Amino acid sequence: MVRDKLKDYILYLSYAVISMLFLFPLLWTLSISLKEISEIFSYPPKLLPETFKLDNYVQIINNSKILTFIYNSIKISFFTVVGTLAVTIPGAFAFSRFRFKFKKPILFGLLIFQMMSPLIIAIPLYNYFNMIGLLDTHLGIIFVYVAIQIPFTTWLLKGSIDSVPASIDDAARIDGCSNFQLLTRVLIPIILPGISTAIIFNAIQSWAQFIIPFILLDNLNLFPVSLGIYNYQASGEAITIHLTAAASIFATIPTIIMFILLQRFIVSALTAGAVKG
Amino acid sequence: MLILFYLFPIVEVFRYSLTDIRLDKEIYSYGISAYQYVLSNPNFWEMLKITIIFVFASMFLQLFFGLIIATLIDEGERRNLKGTLVVRLIVLMAWVIPGVIIGVIWNLFLSEANYGILNYFIQLLFNTKISFLSSQDLALYSVIIANVWRGTAFSMIILYGGLKQISEELYEAASIDGASTLDKFFKITIPQLKPVIFINMVLITIYTFNTFDMIMALTGGGPGRSTEVISLNIYNTVFGHLELGRGSVLAVILFFINLSITLFYYNFVISEE
Repeated sequence: MVRDKLKDYILYLSYAVISMLFLFPLLWTLSISLKEISEIFSYPPKLLPETFKLDNYVQIINNSKILTFIYNSIKISFFTVVGTLAVTIPGAFAFSRFRFKFKKPILFGLLIFQMMSPLIIAIPLYNYFNMIGLLDTHLGIIFVYVAIQIPFTTWLLKGSIDSVPASIDDAARIDGCSNFQLLTRVLIPIILPGISTAIIFNAIQSWAQFIIPFILLDNLNLFPVSLGIYNYQASGEAITIHLTAAASIFATIPTIIMFILLQRFIVSALTAGAVKG
Repeated sequence: MLILFYLFPIVEVFRYSLTDIRLDKEIYSYGISAYQYVLSNPNFWEMLKITIIFVFASMFLQLFFGLIIATLIDEGERRNLKGTLVVRLIVLMAWVIPGVIIGVIWNLFLSEANYGILNYFIQLLFNTKISFLSSQDLALYSVIIANVWRGTAFSMIILYGGLKQISEELYEAASIDGASTLDKFFKITIPQLKPVIFINMVLITIYTFNTFDMIMALTGGGPGRSTEVISLNIYNTVFGHLELGRGSVLAVILFFINLSITLFYYNFVISEE
């Protein structure tokens, strides 16, 4: 019994250490973002700001384009999610329920695309977007984002539809459902958890996407937030450290809130993926 | 859509790689000069070495820490401890933060300026500073540390999913036979988890080969070219030096790396089923 209690304490201790390791860099950034510039460079550094001031946040909101960046990110992510679902739900339905030629090679091709660095496709796309005038447009990068999300999302949704027994299809067909009705009225409501997972993943990944806009966008007013932050970091001298920190925290908050609210879906999707392989 | 955005560009990258095309010129001719140039360039082999160190060190460390954290959380859950959910959440948070921001955060954390908190502690303990980001020898390790911090969460959650599948009865039976905790870990957990560990390994390897954003924000490939992994190298060749042909050669190499690891993964999953 005593040994058991001891084990519990060791576990708790390990939790504290792990949490510290993962939280500390984040909290340090948060702390910098709340400090005045003189305080940041003072020695020894203080863990907590002397006065918790939101000045840096006010300043980035007033004097920089952070709100534009965030608006751009929301817009791009939203249309990416909608576009991806519009393509992948019917696609996954077809892969799950119908037999057709080259089905296996296509599914394998999807897997290769999923594993491929977006950088590879971005290089020629830069050239072609340049020719057809899609360079430096949101429309252009939304197309690419959707293309990037399709492989993973198709596999994910195919998995959800696979888990619905075929007898449900048969029952619906006997009741006179067409394929379209079967999908929209019967299957989509059943696989709603899978669709939610897809939405979360697509949104998080679109929010974080960097390489595509980095290459295909040039106009500051069109930048998503990841690119905007990089811009602060790359152009900023040490003098703007506090603003970069504030912008980073500001841009991270939406993902973290979304993640905490929806973490059950995420965890179950990831762990289910592990089991299936 | 996929043909337009994947197949066609891939074919184009192959075509470019066989030319001496530049971003700033219209005229180009075909030939294998770009391959000759890239493969005979000592910088290329240096870059490949850096990439491989980065990928394999990241992979092993992520797997190692991921397994430890997953086991600790799983053990806590089997004992009904409080707080396991919170720990899991905190670790996973690192995974949802955009890569660029992770680069920024670690830049602040490892800096040698007064706000670099880690160096402050090191100075208190050892009375010296470590130039994590400005030393050519150390920058790669710093990038690896930041990448492991970011990627451990993914590893942890996949392995955690695997641990949940191991039946409690196996452990109970082992307890009756008098097995110690370590015995159980090495004789039950590890063997049962083997397929999941393997899958995890393959996935991390691919993701790490493709890493771009985090390094870009943390070191930009520097100092010098000490942290210029393959994706940064491609970017710099194409958009820095405008050498589209040579950059495409590198992109083709990355493509084959991605492809061969995917094939490996696919064969494994198929053979499991």
